[in-house]
Amino acid sequence: MNRIVFSLIATAAVATLSAAPLGKGKNRRQALETPTPVKPVAPKAPTMDLSSPWHVWSDPQGRKIEAAFCALGGSICTVQTRAGQTLRLNLDTLVPADGAFARAFAAKLNESRFQDAYVKQAAYQIDHLIGTTLVSKGLKFNVPVSDEQFVRRLYLDTVGRVPTAEEASSFLGNAAPDKRAKLIDSLLHSPGYTMHMYNWLADTFRVQDEFGKGARAYLFQDWLKDQLAADRPWDALVKDMLTADGKLCENGAAGFLLRDAQMPLDGVSNMLTTFLGANVACAQCHDHPLAHWTQRDFYEMAAFFGATDGYDQGAYGKARKLTNGKGAATGLDKRQVQQIAGVNVFRLLDTGKQELDFPKDYKYDDAKPGSPVTPRLISWASGDAKMPSYQVNSSNPQTLRDEFAKWMTNPENPRFATNIANRTWKKVFGLAVQEPVSDLDDLTKASNPQLLGHLTTIMKAAKFDLRQFQRVLFNSQTYQRAASLTPDLEKGPYLFPGPLLRRMTAEQTWDSVLVLASGREVDNALLRRGDEMQLFSLPGNEMTAANFKVVIERAKEAGMQMGGYGGGGKKGKGVNPQKLMAAYEGVKPQQRNGLLLARASELPQPAPESHFLRLFGQSDRLVADSNTTDGSVPQALMMMNGPIGQLISDSNSSAVVAANSAKGRDEQVDSLYLSFLARKPSITERAAATKSLEGGLALTDVAWTLLNSREFLFVQ
Amino acid sequence: MNTNILRDPQDRRTFVERCARAAFGLTILPFFAGAAAAEQRGAGFGKAKRIIMIHLDGGLSHIDSFDPKEGASKGPGSAVSTKAGFQLTSFLPETVKVADKITVIRSMAAKVGVHENARYLMRTGFEKRGTIVHPTIGAWGQHYLGASSKTLPSSVAVNHSSAHGNGFFPATYSPLPILDPDAGLANSKATVPDEKAAKRTQLLAQLDASFSKSVPDENVRAYNDFYDTTMQLMKSSDLAAFDINAEKAEVRDRYGRNKFGQGCLLARRLVEGGVRFVEVHSGGWDMHKELEDGMEDRGGEFDRAFAALVADLDARGLLDSTLVAVTTEFGRKPTFDGNGRGHHPLAFSTVLAGGGAKRGFVYGSSDEKGYKAKDNPVTPGDFHATIAWAAGMPIEKEVIAPSGRPFTVGNKGRAALGVFA
Repeated sequence: MNRIVFSLIATAAVATLSAAPLGKGKNRRQALETPTPVKPVAPKAPTMDLSSPWHVWSDPQGRKIEAAFCALGGSICTVQTRAGQTLRLNLDTLVPADGAFARAFAAKLNESRFQDAYVKQAAYQIDHLIGTTLVSKGLKFNVPVSDEQFVRRLYLDTVGRVPTAEEASSFLGNAAPDKRAKLIDSLLHSPGYTMHMYNWLADTFRVQDEFGKGARAYLFQDWLKDQLAADRPWDALVKDMLTADGKLCENGAAGFLLRDAQMPLDGVSNMLTTFLGANVACAQCHDHPLAHWTQRDFYEMAAFFGATDGYDQGAYGKARKLTNGKGAATGLDKRQVQQIAGVNVFRLLDTGKQELDFPKDYKYDDAKPGSPVTPRLISWASGDAKMPSYQVNSSNPQTLRDEFAKWMTNPENPRFATNIANRTWKKVFGLAVQEPVSDLDDLTKASNPQLLGHLTTIMKAAKFDLRQFQRVLFNSQTYQRAASLTPDLEKGPYLFPGPLLRRMTAEQTWDSVLVLASGREVDNALLRRGDEMQLFSLPGNEMTAANFKVVIERAKEAGMQMGGYGGGGKKGKGVNPQKLMAAYEGVKPQQRNGLLLARASELPQPAPESHFLRLFGQSDRLVADSNTTDGSVPQALMMMNGPIGQLISDSNSSAVVAANSAKGRDEQVDSLYLSFLARKPSITERAAATKSLEGGLALTDVAWTLLNSREFLFVQ
Repeated sequence: MNTNILRDPQDRRTFVERCARAAFGLTILPFFAGAAAAEQRGAGFGKAKRIIMIHLDGGLSHIDSFDPKEGASKGPGSAVSTKAGFQLTSFLPETVKVADKITVIRSMAAKVGVHENARYLMRTGFEKRGTIVHPTIGAWGQHYLGASSKTLPSSVAVNHSSAHGNGFFPATYSPLPILDPDAGLANSKATVPDEKAAKRTQLLAQLDASFSKSVPDENVRAYNDFYDTTMQLMKSSDLAAFDINAEKAEVRDRYGRNKFGQGCLLARRLVEGGVRFVEVHSGGWDMHKELEDGMEDRGGEFDRAFAALVADLDARGLLDSTLVAVTTEFGRKPTFDGNGRGHHPLAFSTVLAGGGAKRGFVYGSSDEKGYKAKDNPVTPGDFHATIAWAAGMPIEKEVIAPSGRPFTVGNKGRAALGVFA
């Protein structure tokens, strides 16, 4: 099995650089105390050795670390050390030569990606397939989208926030004919892309700070972000998760399966739906009444995980005894023991024996109640089982998961590529080609089966690189059309004359508010809480008082936050900004009006119940894909009277500061419009706003008004 | 755009329509045509216009509260007779005084003895799963009966997060959480002087006009409605329902000056104002140890607030149309080790007061030890079906969740009709 061991951070002569200070302590990464911005210089390709990604990175103070280049997003460079640790370095704080190397290497990697010509052709084919269908129904494409709507929509769809006034006007003022394609490429390689994609997947994977029993899943979150930043292809990422071994505090990739360690059958059901669009939830308890899945099918699939144990019940009991009853004599703190025990007992282990049996009350005659289940792969069509991807060895319990993962992530699996293509399309266009995304059992039910087939082809051609796949979608004429109003699907399928008008997601709303309040630097404040979790790994996994004492001592020495970072939402507790602040790399987020101004992906997962994010529909991460964009009165109250309304209608908010620096009233109003809506006001709007400025309102009030406008909340 | 249109065998309405009209009280539009009341018959059906559900999180010991036992099971409290003819324990002196107004169910029977799962089961009537979340009674009520008020929400959670109370229904059916009863509804007051607020609102109307006109989208319209409702609410006297400071000091004292007591008082104000369903939570009932102290402290708070609530509702003439339900995760073991008791789901007690429930009545029983439910066992699903029945919901009717699975309120449980007068 793949086991990604993250070694603890070296304290040796080579000080590890990271994007920001993590705090003091022996076991912590040393970092730059006063980052000095360094202007990037153009790469000098001829003199640079680009034959290997390995590079020694250094800062102006002379500290160095050797690590391999993985990917570049804006000024955040993702690298991996020899010990296997992924780091994200802020190039602005390193010597110029490092920036040059990173950019040159990124350019070299780009050469192996989709060529512009392929993107054009694949995008053209999308437009063609949609156009043909529209014509056959007597329908037409929407009109082409304006530059103003395009730039706002594209920022939201790629980096998850609105453009700043400066970013918007720089695009709008650009006359180059290929400026849209250029912006697409640049935004797909920005740090905001990782954040935006993470939010999307965190909703699907039900990412939570805590998996129960006090077990913190921070390492999983860091791992997921690192994979996205480092351009890890979807198939490889999924395979890593399904084949991971080890503890929650040691292997980030294990987090996905450990999320359901206490309900393994539910976990299988979620997994099949998430990665294959198999609508199997009903079959867990009885034959599916409508689809063709039987309960036997479900159990035979689940048996691939029947030799995997995710939760060490016995060990947890032992740990509890250390502080309960007689155990009190150990003098150990109950909460600390629980925290440490949690991340050790959540661990993926192959037991060597497939232990799943049919339920005792199994009521069909195709299997005996309570009898052992033989693993078997499901198929959608009669010929499926003969495909090469189905040739798996299910006789060795030790490798059942690996075999399953091999089948599932195979490009020729009947649903794997289609599923992620369909889901990604939905993210970009607001609706999937086949709805719901959780049910791809019958592909002829797609609104446009040829289109879904073509998207599957592009996904395979992109080798599951979701950036490249989305690059094609964004470059299509279909995406670059005006948005459609919410269609009535009862009347028939939506055929994509353009993307759909959408309310911003909770995360897009919050992240946009942040940029308006504190500027685009928020993209560089990265939360990283997983590294120190590794200190919690108990030697030999033995639940003894002595071992716990060793771990507690180790954690104390490292200056670790034993109590966690607050938040998590379970009891509605707020974020504890002081505690959390230590865990940010790169730029430290600002704190204003009692709010921690870090992007949604860089806050507790999910945000606490009373947080703006939750109010606007961030999922509580109990059920997959349950973010919502429904309105509510408390939302309006928050925007009008709450801390967010006050944050934006403040003379210190970035949008107001930018507007204040403009000369005349008209220009000031224009600046605010660009900040909030990425467009200039119409003549009547400008007149109304300037008139209100003469009538006793200030720019801060106009900012309040634009924040509360429906146009702000919707993506056109 | 949400494409998961909730399917209902009879009423098919799109999500947005549902959301815009029924959420947080815009239009009172029942989805259960004809509100059922006229059609259905039977004891207690539809009597409860309002529901207050009290959750004692952690597992109330039935033997030390509503189901006193003698012999080996007996706990630190003594049995006390009430004028209703049944006995309670000495930990509930105030409840003893209102015993003639309540129905005690002593035959609750469940199988789940793990906190989180049991809490979920008692809050929804369904066993917890990783693939779906089930609604609370409040959300079911909004589905079948429509929004309960023009300005106020239909469901509120007091001392508790909304915790996905909408289940598989639209998020707008989620209860509005009030984490601090003293503070009431967050952000309900404008932060700038009235004159400025009016100018801002006026400018907002002007600047938003062209977008709203040129984009006649139903989601945008729904947001327009939310803003209108919000502005109405901010001006409305209904907002006072959230403000317990408006109560006289002696009333606040009567409920007890603690989070639970004040939460019960807030619940009364809210249901009076038009909220249909309020859940009030009290924590700290997991009495493995120091049960006697726990029953005195936590039990005392509960006793005082619950009795005050029942008496107050009755004095206001609201008890017959307001159902107060008391529930907990599970009971506690008959074996008392001199200090505390372990988890015990096989038998425990719940209470129903008002809303058509009999006054001064005991429904069902546990065996001599308090180990197992004996007569008329009531499962968590039955308990929910009973409450739904009292509220006038069609308990046999199936709703198809967005995942395509059928569900009924109370998970096909049977209403315990014997509790109704």
